[in-house]
Amino acid sequence: MVKIVFTPDWFLTSDVLIEIFSFLILCLFFMLAFKSYQLSKKKSVFYLGLGFFLIALAELSTILTKIILYYDTDVTHEIGKAIITYEIVKSVDIFYYLGFFLQRFLTLLGLYVIYKIPYDKKLTLDLLLSLYLIFVAALLSNSMYYFYHLTALVLLVFISRNYYKVYRKKKIRNTRILAFAFVILALSQTIFILSKLNSLLYATAQLIQLAGYIILLILIMKIIKNGKKEKQSGDNPRHA
Amino acid sequence: MERKRNRVEIIHDMLRIIQEKGGKIRKTHLMYKANLSHKQMLLYLEELIKNNLVEDFKSGDKNFILITNRGREFSVKYLQMREFEKTFGL
Repeated sequence: MVKIVFTPDWFLTSDVLIEIFSFLILCLFFMLAFKSYQLSKKKSVFYLGLGFFLIALAELSTILTKIILYYDTDVTHEIGKAIITYEIVKSVDIFYYLGFFLQRFLTLLGLYVIYKIPYDKKLTLDLLLSLYLIFVAALLSNSMYYFYHLTALVLLVFISRNYYKVYRKKKIRNTRILAFAFVILALSQTIFILSKLNSLLYATAQLIQLAGYIILLILIMKIIKNGKKEKQSGDNPRHA
Repeated sequence: MERKRNRVEIIHDMLRIIQEKGGKIRKTHLMYKANLSHKQMLLYLEELIKNNLVEDFKSGDKNFILITNRGREFSVKYLQMREFEKTFGL
């Protein structure tokens, strides 16, 4: 979930590595959801996987765009290695436009899908309206970079609230970790909004985002570990 | 009132019961412990054997059901997936 605003030159490789790490975590969640769907055939699980898949695609789009942007010698010559600003990217090529537009659009769409699941358990026709609004938000972010971060922040706050409510109701520790991870990701978006003020803030936001994904990785490890040691009540199966 | 178990839950219950009995169980015991009718149990057993999750085993004049490694792996994966769904409140 990253965007181009001010990347300090010392952070050019690190931010791509963070994106790659985030992409791998998102793929793991997608795979878990997909495997779970294969067993349970629950539509809500399918849509959850779809949400993670869309955000993973968004990360992939960012990674590819940034790799070309940072390491293509013609481009780096043109932008001068030091500071990559939104305005410079705008002038370089339609490719970068498309790459970052896709990243913003897919991330917002993925977050929206994840937000909707606990309430609806399925996606309804109002998805078309939401799709349009997300498209507009992603498009507007081309000229107002903070608009994307603000929209992502709102969605992340609502997702965190959803999972906190699930935690309050069911008291499952893993759900608390999940809600906390989304709070951290929301915090990173808050700092991304301010990143135009100082390039150090951009690096800080990236590192906070990394912390969010590390928490999600810990959650995956706990899910796998808990699943292995879970015991069920012995001789009292429910009626078939 | 307890809700009805779905197909995968019944399969997992059967595999769990076999594991709790040390990996092998007599058909009649499995039927009672899994709370299935004879007809239901035969249908599910046929599916389990077809998918190589359990196998028939004869010891003397007694017939046993043995859980396979694939069956144990399935059981672990099922619990992990259920843990995943619980985490997301699904």
